[in-house]
Amino acid sequence: MTEPDREAVFRTENLVKTYHTGGVDVHALAGVDLTLYARELSVLLGPSGSGKSTLLNILGGLDHATSGSVRFRDLDLNTLNDRQLTRYRRDHVGFVFQFYNLVPSLTARENVQMVTDISPNPMRPEEALDLVGMGNRIDHFPAELSGGQQQRVAIARAIAKRPEVLLCDEPTGALDITTGVQVLDAIKQINETLGTTAIVITHNAGIQAMAHRVVRFLDGKIASVVENDTRIEPSQIEW
Amino acid sequence: MHALDIMLLRDFRRLWSQSLAIALVLACGVMILLTAFGMHRALDDTLTAFYERNEMADIWANVDRAPSHVVNQIAALDGVTQARGRIEKYLILDIPGRIKSASGLALSLPVDGDLPDLNVPIVRSGRLPAPRASDEVMVNEPFAIANGFEVGDTFSALLSGQKRELTITGTALSPEFVYAIGPGNLMPDDAGFGVLWLPEIAMAAAFDMTGAVNSIAVSLTRDTQPEAVVADIDDLLDPYGGSGAFLRKDQMSHAFVSTEIEQLKNMAIILPPIFFGISAFLVNMVIGRIIALERTEIGLMKALGYADLHIAAHFVLLAGLTALIGIALGWLTGGLAARGMAGLYAQYFKFPYLIFNVSYDAYAISGFLALLTAAIGALRSALGAARLPPAVAMSPPAPPRYKKGLLDRMLSSLRLSQPTMMIWRSLLRWPVRTFMSAVGLSMAVAVLIAAGFFISAMDKIVDVAFSQSNRQDAMLVFTAPRPLSALEDVRRLPGVIAVEGEYQAAVTLHNGHLNKQLAIITRGEGATLARAVDDQGRTVEPQGEGIIITNRVAEVLDLARGDMVDVEFMTGRKETFRLPVSGVVTQYFGLGAYMARDAMAHLTRDGIEISLANISLDSAASDAFNQTIKETPAIASAVRLGDMLSGFEDTLDQNVNTTNTLFIVIAMLITVGLTYNSARILLSERARELASLRILGFSNSEVSYVLVGETMLIAVLAQPLGWIFGALISSAMASSFTSDLYSIPLVLTAASFAKASLVVLGTSLLAVLFVRRRIDRFDLVSVMKTRE
Repeated sequence: MTEPDREAVFRTENLVKTYHTGGVDVHALAGVDLTLYARELSVLLGPSGSGKSTLLNILGGLDHATSGSVRFRDLDLNTLNDRQLTRYRRDHVGFVFQFYNLVPSLTARENVQMVTDISPNPMRPEEALDLVGMGNRIDHFPAELSGGQQQRVAIARAIAKRPEVLLCDEPTGALDITTGVQVLDAIKQINETLGTTAIVITHNAGIQAMAHRVVRFLDGKIASVVENDTRIEPSQIEW
Repeated sequence: MHALDIMLLRDFRRLWSQSLAIALVLACGVMILLTAFGMHRALDDTLTAFYERNEMADIWANVDRAPSHVVNQIAALDGVTQARGRIEKYLILDIPGRIKSASGLALSLPVDGDLPDLNVPIVRSGRLPAPRASDEVMVNEPFAIANGFEVGDTFSALLSGQKRELTITGTALSPEFVYAIGPGNLMPDDAGFGVLWLPEIAMAAAFDMTGAVNSIAVSLTRDTQPEAVVADIDDLLDPYGGSGAFLRKDQMSHAFVSTEIEQLKNMAIILPPIFFGISAFLVNMVIGRIIALERTEIGLMKALGYADLHIAAHFVLLAGLTALIGIALGWLTGGLAARGMAGLYAQYFKFPYLIFNVSYDAYAISGFLALLTAAIGALRSALGAARLPPAVAMSPPAPPRYKKGLLDRMLSSLRLSQPTMMIWRSLLRWPVRTFMSAVGLSMAVAVLIAAGFFISAMDKIVDVAFSQSNRQDAMLVFTAPRPLSALEDVRRLPGVIAVEGEYQAAVTLHNGHLNKQLAIITRGEGATLARAVDDQGRTVEPQGEGIIITNRVAEVLDLARGDMVDVEFMTGRKETFRLPVSGVVTQYFGLGAYMARDAMAHLTRDGIEISLANISLDSAASDAFNQTIKETPAIASAVRLGDMLSGFEDTLDQNVNTTNTLFIVIAMLITVGLTYNSARILLSERARELASLRILGFSNSEVSYVLVGETMLIAVLAQPLGWIFGALISSAMASSFTSDLYSIPLVLTAASFAKASLVVLGTSLLAVLFVRRRIDRFDLVSVMKTRE
């Protein structure tokens, strides 16, 4: 599966995550071997509870695996402590969530600035907002923006520090078709213009058509990995 | 159990720590109310009972020497039920084993060998002296206890120059001496001052008073106007050297006790509302938050058909449960504190018994107020919840809207960090809540400032009284005024380095309808041992014919420098003169006025007299001095200023330390109650926000900054408010505690403000750091997955 001309960003081997809830062991991840490559846009598909979010959380440094290995380039994420994980998130990872999670008391610009203030090599907040088509709304508070606009601000916030990876958990889950397409457009554009590796979780099977690589999950394991030969534009996606 | 009740109990259990924090504040209010009311009631009941059972007089009159039949004339006056005469003399005592002299007030007992009919002492041990005995005495119990006397023990007294050994036949407590102060003293000194009851025959013989009295006590029928009787008595006693009859309110012991009772009442009225107000605000804040969190459940309940009333009642009951805990804690501590404190007071004031009736009404009132407080706090939020249409309730609340106001633009221009902006915007977004939190915390600061103020005021009082005004080592109070030449005799006493004479003339000052009885003090020109000082600490010498009055007298008689005042002498020729007020001086103990010695002699036409001598002593010769005093008949009392100061400071230390500790605990409870709840609510409202900061790569301490920063910013904003409220409360305390007995100067120091702020800020910080630990436990994954 390894191809010498491609640069691996994430590599997992026999990755297991077990939750102990109410005396029952739930195997959220039951041995996952996966490699994701730089500058690719990957889509993780699968039913609820299939393990895709668990994987994303571990890749993003929000959670530790129970066993197996997970590497970000040469960094063994499983060996990092809480403080090191914070550092890792701060320096390398951009997150986008289903419910945007903007700070309501900060304007669009300030929400982005919050991240650029603590990053070593950020772009200007205005630039990041321009990239997602929100350059004309920089002084608006979240409550003054639509859901799609809020999500685009969230994407601007995630990419303003020029992260190597952009992790999106159901980024269109709370949006209608039109705004969902706008958000996917923004993600695609980031991936293409900045070369940011993007990983998108979705329920929506239609979205897979815009990805370089599609990973299907079932019962905590990878059911299939498919590389798309041809990709479509977000506007062509059928919801 | 109904589902709603189960929900109620679950909610309550979930909120236990916040409920407890509120309950503690509420408990403070309940406790103070119970304690103050309980003590007030206990002291008032005890005093009333003691007065009634022991026939406390309504009017007292002192006279040089009046024939006994005058007493019958007074008894025959309209409205008088009883009049009793007695002989009353101050004596110097020599107590075995005591180096210094003590003084005693000797009172004659009726010839028939019974207790007097008015101001009846309660015999606590032993018996009355035999009517014909000349060497038997009954003493007041505190004096006996302080000197370790048993019945049968003896001590000596100078009776008209004759040293006589007296045997104690019994001990007693009298309603006249619940608070017993010796001549020239400022506070009780049980060992140094005793009340002595001696048979009339022995007293009359010793003082050449056969068939005569010099003190008359009078009781009145219930509906009599006492002022009219006082005037009649004054007329009757005038020919015999009466110095003016006075009412119970001016009787020394009663004045002190009733002032204290009044202060307890003030405390019961002033302090509890602060706690109830803060509790209501806290309940409002917490219940409001619960309702925000349980919006969906409320919608569901309404969709299922629960009535508005059910839902409102649910939340009011939740607050009610908190109130019940507060009431329980308050009742428990308040009941114990009231009983304990009343017991302490009963020792401080000399009551033979303590009537402690459990004030069921105080329990009922405090409980009712606590419940009412919680209900008021919860009601607004509860009604709001009840009114939510179910469909609206079940959908998530709209995100809070922020707007860019003027203040915001100013903040933006400061280029603050984003977390700092978050803090400021949140404070400005809910200005009422911010303001109320700050007001609440400012009360904690104010309580501490008020406590600190009292200490500073006492320091100032001590400084003015003992370092600036009264610098003598001792005061020798004469049994009667003496000519100035008596100073030469004093100068010859062993160890006396310097001596200055002082005369005290009993007068009534009149300004229109206002009047006040006091003593005008005259001293020699350039007197340095005792002197009057103004508010800047400068010595003020009376000049010409004018009189100088103290600040309290100026206040109650509405006089200022340059005004004219009528001075009515109560002794001697009893003439009235109109004199100019030539100055106002600062004095915190009692009332007072000063006049030049020559001017006084001119007015009285008696030549220069002195009623006491101020002396400075060589400490090496103090034993010889003390021994001589015990043998000197003309002296009623020798007051050592050093003893007076240490007695004063001991009493203060006990009282002030107790109150100060109490106030610090109270302020800390307020602070914890407010800070803990605010921080918990803040954290609950912004958990997602703060967790997303963590996910974006902010460290725990960077995220904690938002929580700690916002909480502490409110605490900082509360400080200036607290200083203002503290100054206001101090000022109110100063004026409510000020009486003719003493006045409390308003002394506000930067140090006490700083200390108050440090305690509150420190306590706030601890409370918010306690809440902050929850940030470490954030479950980042689940926070991001859920919609609020």
